[in-house]
Amino acid sequence: MSTILNVKDLQKTYSGGVQALKGVSLDIPAGMFGLLGPNGAGKTTLMKILATLLEADSGTAQMNGLDLIANKADTRRVLGYLPQDFGLYPTLTAAQMLDYFAKLKGVNNKKERRALVDALLEKVNLYEERNRRLGGFSGGMRQRVGIAQALIGNPKLLIVDEPTSGLDPEERARLHNVLAESAGEDTVILLSTHIVSDVSNLCDRFAVIRRGEIVAATSTGAALKQLEGRIWEATMPREQIAGLEAKGKVISKQMAGVSTRVRMLSENGRPADPFVPVAATLEDYYFTVVNLT
Amino acid sequence: MRVFAAIAYNEVLLNLKRVAPYVVAALCAGNAVLWWGWGPASGRGVAVNSDFFIAGVQAPYSFLFLPLYTALMMADPGIRDFRDGITPLIFSKPITRAEYVLGKFFGNFFVLACCQSAFVVTLFILQWVPKKGVTVVPETKFLAYPKHFLVFVAISHMFLAAVYFTVGTLTRNAKIVYGLGIAFYPIYIGYQKVLLSSLPWRLKLALDPLVMNRALVPNSIRSNDPAWLNQLVIVYDADLILNRVVMTLLTAGCLTILYKLFSSTERSGRTKELTVINLSTAAEGVYYQHSSPVLPVAEFDRLDYINSVRVPEVTRVNEGIAAHLNKLVAAIGVEFRLLRAERSLVVVMPLSIFICLLEVAFYDIHPDVSLSAAYASNTSTSLMIFLIGMAVFYTGEAMHRDREVRIESFLWTTPISNSVLILSKFLSTLLLLFALIAGVGAAAVAIQIVRHHTPIDLVAYLKVYGLILLPSAFILTAISVAGTVFLRTKYAFYVVSIGTAAGLFYLYSNGYNHWLYNPVMYRLWTYADLTGVTRTILLYRLCWLLIAIICLALAHLFFERRSRGKANLPLPFALR
Repeated sequence: MSTILNVKDLQKTYSGGVQALKGVSLDIPAGMFGLLGPNGAGKTTLMKILATLLEADSGTAQMNGLDLIANKADTRRVLGYLPQDFGLYPTLTAAQMLDYFAKLKGVNNKKERRALVDALLEKVNLYEERNRRLGGFSGGMRQRVGIAQALIGNPKLLIVDEPTSGLDPEERARLHNVLAESAGEDTVILLSTHIVSDVSNLCDRFAVIRRGEIVAATSTGAALKQLEGRIWEATMPREQIAGLEAKGKVISKQMAGVSTRVRMLSENGRPADPFVPVAATLEDYYFTVVNLT
Repeated sequence: MRVFAAIAYNEVLLNLKRVAPYVVAALCAGNAVLWWGWGPASGRGVAVNSDFFIAGVQAPYSFLFLPLYTALMMADPGIRDFRDGITPLIFSKPITRAEYVLGKFFGNFFVLACCQSAFVVTLFILQWVPKKGVTVVPETKFLAYPKHFLVFVAISHMFLAAVYFTVGTLTRNAKIVYGLGIAFYPIYIGYQKVLLSSLPWRLKLALDPLVMNRALVPNSIRSNDPAWLNQLVIVYDADLILNRVVMTLLTAGCLTILYKLFSSTERSGRTKELTVINLSTAAEGVYYQHSSPVLPVAEFDRLDYINSVRVPEVTRVNEGIAAHLNKLVAAIGVEFRLLRAERSLVVVMPLSIFICLLEVAFYDIHPDVSLSAAYASNTSTSLMIFLIGMAVFYTGEAMHRDREVRIESFLWTTPISNSVLILSKFLSTLLLLFALIAGVGAAAVAIQIVRHHTPIDLVAYLKVYGLILLPSAFILTAISVAGTVFLRTKYAFYVVSIGTAAGLFYLYSNGYNHWLYNPVMYRLWTYADLTGVTRTILLYRLCWLLIAIICLALAHLFFERRSRGKANLPLPFALR
């Protein structure tokens, strides 16, 4: 699979001394690429640098020969960006807002622009609300306007930072479809999230970032294969969990009433009596990489 | 009581992290230096640490310098929590409305009073500083400074602060308070002329919030002999005490109204914040599951329909001047629409027009050249004050709006140049100012007709407005754009602008007036200058227009958004 976006040794330290990126390198092919990581791992910093909003201290990012860091004006012509945290002009309507962004992205033909705005509003299920002021929109509706504006002008690099935040299941499914459709042969969709199932549903490849460093970059298939036959699960009283650490690596714990559901990684067969073998998930891989490496 | 104290203390802590209080305090201290070294006592033998001087400078300091700063500091404390989305966290605690409102008010008023007291603290220190022409009495004064400050300044501004705080908190719109701050002088003078002048003397003294109607020493016993004045001890008579009691009661009344009307609920039209709170962390190994969403059949059918919608291919033009102009026009349209939606305009626009027309509407007009020329000249002088205020505040709002609304990341990732972003804000604000000028002009013509002061000479209006007001609006807006880019923090920009404007007007009023530091030509022209050989005025205007263009170019050069790697100039002195 040929690389379209090549990120090499990106470093960023904020003025307060926080080192957000410690030499991040990634080879990203066409299609959807997931970027997973806990809060504060450096995902948003990486996204902002690629979206021309933040200056990297060093390193490069090239996409089909275009230097994303040095040539910001050209980058913005191929870019669609949905930030993690954003607002909208509350006094404009959804249609006015999208029309404005379409103009700023160079869609000058009025007829084309109107058709585009209508289609995007349909796509994000806001067509009925197109003439309502954005100030009265709910969080999910505003998130959908954000997604629609990112899609204007068929961007070749679509960066979406935590796009499913605040969306209900129906809207989440809709967004998954919209993103999947936007992926083309020469398009990169960079999806940053801490919701692992978004990545497992959408992305062929993904990377895990922790404390400013890439700790894993692989395909979803390869990640699951790596854990095959090594994941065990049991539901047990809380007090028994303490002793488990000696028998294997605890990947995750989830409260289930008075008991706790525990998943373990064990190389040497069943770690303890109540544990049964289960199919590995991407969450197991994520926790293994983030917590146990 | 403990909750009240905690809220007040928190407000003090919040203010300690802001730039504005320090700037206000520095400006107040600078003001004290001016009064001390170059004020009315200088060279006249009146001691700068005499009781008479200390008490005498408080009321003019309070009137001339502080009302705008009071508005600036008290406009948003009641709005901040709603804006930052902290209110659900606060009001879910056992807090009463009184504790919240009073804690906020007194916490912020304490900070404001501390800033204002930099004036008397500086005067106190300066009594030991020798300077030629400055006299001091040998006896060092300690208590006179805080005592007179408390009586003449703090109580006055407690009332003003209560009014501003009440308006800001109830409307949840700081811009309305800024509008009131800008309109303070016309309102106060109008209040004195229209309401107080018709009242009996004692009532007139009692209802004057800034005690400007009361002589410090009764004229019957007053002497101008410096030796006599330096020995004088100022005592507070019954009228002054009554006035201060009335102001304190009015403050309490204002806060009671606020307490009664204050609502902790969200406004229906409020923009919702997008907040994600995830209480679990990966390190704990506890994570919430998000499986693939499952939909009911009806929703699935709808989804199926939506999936069938194709986003059409569009032609995008991002190269060339025409594309650039198209984007600029689109941005100006949106920026102007957003400016028009500013609620403060509902107050500021009619008030400015009304105040500018007061003189021509109600007083005799003495035409030097023609009635139209007198109307145009009169209105333009009053209008200038509003143009300065509006240029500063609305440019500040326009330049900072994208960051405050958090739409900056959308706009900055679109393929537009920085000039589109800057010029759209500049031109939309300019358009607003032109609309105000046109409104005042049209109303002045209407009044001329109503008062039968005909014939109407439109050329006179065109000359005055075209040569004085329109270029001034252009220059002021351009300087404001550059100021917002350089200072980066909105409130720092406001404080510096107000301080600079006040300082310049002080200089102009004291005869230091030159076109090189008077971009609005305040007191530098008469109508005759515009009618005869206009070349000199034109030259001055052209010079300043050139400076305005340079300001815009500098704003473009130092704008925070980068377009070419790290090529843009850094701004090490920006307040951020």
